[in-house]
Amino acid sequence: MRVPPCLLLATLALLPAPARAELYYLIVAGLGGDPSYAERFAEDATAMAAAAERTVGSRDSITVLRGDDATRDALREALAGLAGSTQPADRLAVFLIGHGSYDGHEYKLNLPGEDITGTELEELLGAVPAQSQLIVNATSASGAVLEPWSAGGRAVITATRSGAERNATRFSRHWAAALSSEEADVNKNGSISIQEAFDYASRLVAESFEADGILATEHPELRSDAAGAFEVSRLSARVAATPVVEALNERLAELEEEVAALRLRREELGDDYLPQLQALLVELAEVQEQIDEASAE
Amino acid sequence: MAGRASPFAALALLLCAAVDAEAAYGIDYSADRPEELRACDASYFRGERAESGRCYSALLAGDADIRIKAEAAWALGNIVAANNYFQEAFDANPEDARLRLRWGKLFEATNAEAQEVATLYREALEIDPAYAPAILGMAELAAGRFEGRAREWVEEALEIEPESIGAHLLLASMELEVGNLELAEESLDRAFELVESSDYPPLEVYALRASLDLLRGDFESQWITRALEYSPMYGDAYAIPAYFFVITRRYREAIDFYERAVDVQPDLYAAHTALGVNLLRENRVDEAYRHLRTAYEGEDGYSSDTTVNTLNLIDSFVNFTVETYDGQTDPAGGGAGVILRLHQDETDVLTPYVLDLVNESIDTFSERYGFTLEEPVIAELYPVAADFSVRTAGLPGIGLLGVAFGYLVAMNSPSQAGSGQFHWGTTLWHEVAHVFTLEATDHLVPRWFSEGVSVHEEWSTGPLPGRHIPVHVLQAMADDRFLPISDLDEGFIRPTYENQVIVSYMQAGLICEYIAMAFGQRALHGMLERFRAGDETPAAIEAALGITPAEFDDRFALHVAAEFDMVLDNLEAWNEARAALREHAAAGDWEGVRNSAAEAIALMPGYVDEGSPYLALERAQRELGDQGAARETLERYWRLGGYEPTALMRLARALIDAGNNETAIEVLEALVLVTPLDESVHADLGDLLLETRPADALTEFTVLAALEPHDQASVNLRLAKAHMALGDTGKATEHLLYALEIAPHYREAQQLLLEIVR
Repeated sequence: MRVPPCLLLATLALLPAPARAELYYLIVAGLGGDPSYAERFAEDATAMAAAAERTVGSRDSITVLRGDDATRDALREALAGLAGSTQPADRLAVFLIGHGSYDGHEYKLNLPGEDITGTELEELLGAVPAQSQLIVNATSASGAVLEPWSAGGRAVITATRSGAERNATRFSRHWAAALSSEEADVNKNGSISIQEAFDYASRLVAESFEADGILATEHPELRSDAAGAFEVSRLSARVAATPVVEALNERLAELEEEVAALRLRREELGDDYLPQLQALLVELAEVQEQIDEASAE
Repeated sequence: MAGRASPFAALALLLCAAVDAEAAYGIDYSADRPEELRACDASYFRGERAESGRCYSALLAGDADIRIKAEAAWALGNIVAANNYFQEAFDANPEDARLRLRWGKLFEATNAEAQEVATLYREALEIDPAYAPAILGMAELAAGRFEGRAREWVEEALEIEPESIGAHLLLASMELEVGNLELAEESLDRAFELVESSDYPPLEVYALRASLDLLRGDFESQWITRALEYSPMYGDAYAIPAYFFVITRRYREAIDFYERAVDVQPDLYAAHTALGVNLLRENRVDEAYRHLRTAYEGEDGYSSDTTVNTLNLIDSFVNFTVETYDGQTDPAGGGAGVILRLHQDETDVLTPYVLDLVNESIDTFSERYGFTLEEPVIAELYPVAADFSVRTAGLPGIGLLGVAFGYLVAMNSPSQAGSGQFHWGTTLWHEVAHVFTLEATDHLVPRWFSEGVSVHEEWSTGPLPGRHIPVHVLQAMADDRFLPISDLDEGFIRPTYENQVIVSYMQAGLICEYIAMAFGQRALHGMLERFRAGDETPAAIEAALGITPAEFDDRFALHVAAEFDMVLDNLEAWNEARAALREHAAAGDWEGVRNSAAEAIALMPGYVDEGSPYLALERAQRELGDQGAARETLERYWRLGGYEPTALMRLARALIDAGNNETAIEVLEALVLVTPLDESVHADLGDLLLETRPADALTEFTVLAALEPHDQASVNLRLAKAHMALGDTGKATEHLLYALEIAPHYREAQQLLLEIVR
């Protein structure tokens, strides 16, 4: 995919923003053990942090713990901070990178010093008021926390489908790529939803094992009722919209809804579907063009 | 050895279903075969089953030794009882070498694992190291797997027992396999004398004599008639010669003979299996299925792996598409069309490239060999390695990637895991060359010449430039391991050292290259004509080239010396330079890598295969920040025939960045012949072709769509652009709507849509 990012910029920048809620990120790269893993985990964390910064426009709402700093105490402290600073309308995205373990009863995230358990993390996350939460646990054995963590309606992604998949995972590398990939942005709206990022990353995981000619040792899982609605990353920074642009954006949103409604009637409409779709999409393109022109002034 | 009956429990279970089924009861030539059994054998092998049945039954009912009862039960087809008797006899006679041999023979007849059979033979030899029948048993097992050591075993058996009929017959069979007809005849003469002077059935001698006649082109052999006069339902009178037709790739004659075999002996299930397998090689799928099914049902409970696996393969054909393409080739080239059998998941992706390449190869070879194909070439590509293995079952020294059975070519699909090291385009080119050498000679071409022409064509007209000779073959050349031309087939059929088959491929390729160079391409036609006329290699060489094989060997050796002496002289220094660059790379010393790689390249500039120093040099140049030099190195590597896919993709991207789209297109087109399932190859290639070759761009984007990429919106945009470039705004609009239906905000698609509607 070789679309110049500048072509997307105007459109993407002016899409309706989520209602003034803040998006917070907590990114943790756990204990690498082997230097090559430590390096890889740190790289993944850096890539995720860059995507987060591009999305929210500053580092204020981003916490990154990696290397020797990623201790249990530091993690507890970061989550306690979020518990104190976020509002129910806010959103929280947590990315856990590294090695995990599962002994049949308890999941543990490997950290420098004392590990942290899945139960403890669940309690700490439960204390954060932000009601819309995404937890991406990209560690080995992460499937062990899939059900308990998602029980409260939280969106949870795990690199493995159970605690029994214990090999070092590849998911975090592909998740980091998904957050900045135009290819992952299937609907080309300039932002990456949970669903888009998950679909892209899990596909790359499967393909990487296939290319290596070995059986996959991890099978990513997603639990979420609204994975398409949660914007986890933007491909370009947001800019402020003028009142004219706001009005055009409203029309754009209406047209989008009409397109979505029409798609549901595709079979019923038969040969009439494409002409009706074309009429809506042409109008949508024209409105978009007007937005671009208004933004350029 | 003691208490080792447990492994056979599994066999006992397996055999439970095999009561009264027919399991091949072959002639036992052992000098120590009990007289009682030999009396029954006389009528059995004359086909007088009622009489032999009474005879063996009497042995079973009487107070004969348990070992004799085991044999009698086996002859009567009661395999479970035979196995039980053998087990009982085993417990009572733990030191009986013959018993273990015969029990092994029962295992062999019931398609047990060769390893289990070999265990029994080895145990017999532990009891009596000089027990010739067990040594011969080991020889037979090795021969069945086309192992060179078979000859050592059989010679050892003959040393101990010079009058072993079985050993002489095996030796004859092995000589027939490699086309040494005179040596085969000598062994058969000896076996014949021994059979004549004894009361053993002469059936196998007759069948092998018939095979010899048939391989010499005498289709009116008296020996089949004599065998059938001796035993009217002796199906092996046909099945044994049929086997040699298979070995010499004359599948149509093999089918004819296997059909006759099952006509005279309907319960000869091994012949039904072989018939099925060979019918499949002729693409006669329904008939193949019927015979394999007959074998499966007849061998109730002890079917061979070949039977079961081939039936499963045929069942899997429902997942394949079969498309016929007529008149695709230039009529002047004489192609009779192409049939593609591709897995349904790959059909849309592979069809354009496979079809193009098959057609191009047909045109090329039709012209170069002056031969017009009379039937369509059938190309099958298997995405599952196991299916391809089943397709090639039973062929000696077979390559891992492709096979040609005549007009039918089967090969691994590039989708198989790890396929990046597999240049499928070259494999296909190689196999279609076989179609010509096989069909132009009515399948009489010797293996070495067919392989030699295919390798020569790979190097001279194939899609990949240059010779590709593995390092171990260069080492074999340095060690003077090339065979005389008259013996070259042995290097394919019964290799005596690791990798000899590959060495033989390369030698054959070099020989054909030399013939074309020294005697002209026309001389290769001449060789084909001589083979078609029935000449063996020495006669064909003399007739087509006008020199003796010995003279040819001398001249070829001079040619090889002229071509390779410098390379071979440098081999050690080259290996040292490569070892040094590996050490430098491990230490992150990129300057050192650059120097060592450059040194290695200077010593052997044409080497672009596994471990090529070009790739190390390019890496070093990148690490040292010299991107321009890195690109030039990669380009040189590619132009010499290097095809490592990630390197070529790097080259393509570097060329695009440098604005050299024309060469980038060439590189990406080369990549399609390595990794046709890589989405980025088709996306990039289509993008580059869009302006100048929109029809080809549309092909690339259509293939990209068939790969079902993650980003469906952008592939539809690409398709829209290609249709626009071809002037089809209707199709373009349709694809834009598909793109925008998925991604309503897709700015580039919106702009194109507005451009069309305004």
